[in-house]
Amino acid sequence: MKLLYSIYKEYKVLTRDRAGLAITFIMPTVLILIITLIQDTTFRSVNEASVPLLIVDRDHDSLSNVLEISLIKSKFFVITKKQLSDEETKKEIATGHFFIGIIIPENTSKKLREKSSARISKLLGSFSGDTSAVAEPLDTSKLKVQLYFDPITKKSFKTTISNSIERIISQIEMQSMVSSLNEKMKESFPLATPSKLELTPIVSLTEEYASYNNSTIIPNSVQHNVPAWTLFAMFFICIPLAGNIIRERDDGSAFRLLTMPGSYMIVILGKMLTYVIVSLIQFALMLCVGVFILPLLGLQELNIGNNLPMLFLVAFSSGLAATGFGLLVGTIATSHDQASLFGAVFVIILAAIGGIWVPTFVMPEVMKKIAVISPLNWGLEAFYGIFLRNFGFKEIFPEVAKLLLFFGASLGGSYLYQKYKRLK
Amino acid sequence: MSILVDIQHVSKKYKDAPRAAVNDLTFSIDKGNVFGLLGPNGAGKTTFISMLCGLFPTSSGEIYINGKTHKTHSKECKQVIGVVPQEIALYPKLTAWENLMFLGHMYGLSGTSLKENVKDNLRILGLEENMHQKIVSYSGGMKRRVNLIAGLLHNPQLLILDEPTVGVDVQSKQAIIEHLKKLNRENGMTILYTSHHLEEAEDFCSHIAIIDDGKLITQGATKQLIADNNCKSIEEVYLKITGVKFRDK
Repeated sequence: MKLLYSIYKEYKVLTRDRAGLAITFIMPTVLILIITLIQDTTFRSVNEASVPLLIVDRDHDSLSNVLEISLIKSKFFVITKKQLSDEETKKEIATGHFFIGIIIPENTSKKLREKSSARISKLLGSFSGDTSAVAEPLDTSKLKVQLYFDPITKKSFKTTISNSIERIISQIEMQSMVSSLNEKMKESFPLATPSKLELTPIVSLTEEYASYNNSTIIPNSVQHNVPAWTLFAMFFICIPLAGNIIRERDDGSAFRLLTMPGSYMIVILGKMLTYVIVSLIQFALMLCVGVFILPLLGLQELNIGNNLPMLFLVAFSSGLAATGFGLLVGTIATSHDQASLFGAVFVIILAAIGGIWVPTFVMPEVMKKIAVISPLNWGLEAFYGIFLRNFGFKEIFPEVAKLLLFFGASLGGSYLYQKYKRLK
Repeated sequence: MSILVDIQHVSKKYKDAPRAAVNDLTFSIDKGNVFGLLGPNGAGKTTFISMLCGLFPTSSGEIYINGKTHKTHSKECKQVIGVVPQEIALYPKLTAWENLMFLGHMYGLSGTSLKENVKDNLRILGLEENMHQKIVSYSGGMKRRVNLIAGLLHNPQLLILDEPTVGVDVQSKQAIIEHLKKLNRENGMTILYTSHHLEEAEDFCSHIAIIDDGKLITQGATKQLIADNNCKSIEEVYLKITGVKFRDK
């Protein structure tokens, strides 16, 4: 009964604190909306980049045409064609107008056909016993297609792009050889009507993101930002909670409650349970924002996976960790200002290193290692696991255990500090 | 009369403090007394009250309440005590009714008896009409009266009042003191009262103790104390004993 009434009292106090309610519910909503919109653009620009590419076509023949069509089909590039000198092309790339420049020299197609024809002739000559064709030395010099890269291009990205262009050119070479072979065969068998050689790839790669239990959700800004900012708001609860504890201490309520038999512990428990319930409501509301509001803004709908009990478990553990931290701040801080400042700064630092602002998967290695000390990172990793990988209890247990240990450590810290102060 | 509170050589020294806040206090409070604990700022009154309420332990000595100590019978000792702190220890955004119902539940009370108790106290102290207004909208005197009721809800044997009338209008002060006198007279409630209003203390308290620098300087029945010191009032006794020097820390 005491506990229920304590929760009821906290509920009344909370619902009459409009500023506190605004921080608790409006702040995370606004943060999710703004940051998701901002990061959605960034995510898209990284994942679905359209690389500006300059083609200087001096060939005006089959190779340049096929190369251009292939590049367009790849959807990687925004292609611009210009007639420039080598120096002008380099300048365009160096000044950042284009990421990549391709110069296809004059007569490249013609020379490719000639070289293909010569190689096929030599090959067929060896079958027919044409010694003159076999004896003739083959021109092994290479046709050059010049690529220029923006100096800021990362090595891995450069390799990817080079390989893509090289693959396209290899296909064109292959087609040219097959055409030459066709022509030579026609010369040898003029009456034959051969079917067209199928040139579509025989082997293809099937790509899929690795995930457990057939879940194939790809991370996007919504999947990151909704749980990330919800956790941020949950931990921000430490400020009103600490303020509440300090206010009770300052106005003598704590003194009065401490003089009642066993009541102060119940009041603190009631406070914590109330704030855990608030953090669960926050979580539910933020999920609703992700599912219903974000799609209205042209963003992807939040896919919450299908493991609601595990979602609840992680949210509950995170809520406990956040309220435990609030209790610790409220116990140690000597004034409301101190608690607000310390609480806010500490949560912001934990959020920054925990991958709330910038996801850990784009962080440098050293930061990825540091991120694991943040309770917000534990919560976020657990949510990622449920949203993206369909994790069950066994897989999220380590993160949940860390959150619960953090809660326990915060409670223990508060108790010991209180005891130290009493004995001082 | 039997003893309700027995203080035996109680001292308290905070870590790093140059001297003891409370130094070898020994006195007792009989059941049914109104006991005034007077002393200048920093004399050790708050430290003593905190130890009496069981908020922190003594450095040495024992405090017995009904023959029991906080060390071994914390719950029983706390059940005997009602505290009215100097601060308005109420939730400003809750109404008087909500505050008192919450505190009543924390004392382990509930149901109709609690509701009746709260209503009676509010009526006696003239707050019945305003009981559903938030505390933040109350005047200083109204807040003090609610603050007092909060300490009375469980009908304690010992009521500890720390400056219960500070900063209130004459009417509220009158209502508070009259109500306390009535509780003492009719219910036999023992009251431990601290104040800087020496005239009020003289009028209200049957016994007075004066402490300074953590030590008990004098104690006795109010009238006897005045007579023994050849003074006309407690204020004169107080100034004679504690001096006129400022006690700014």
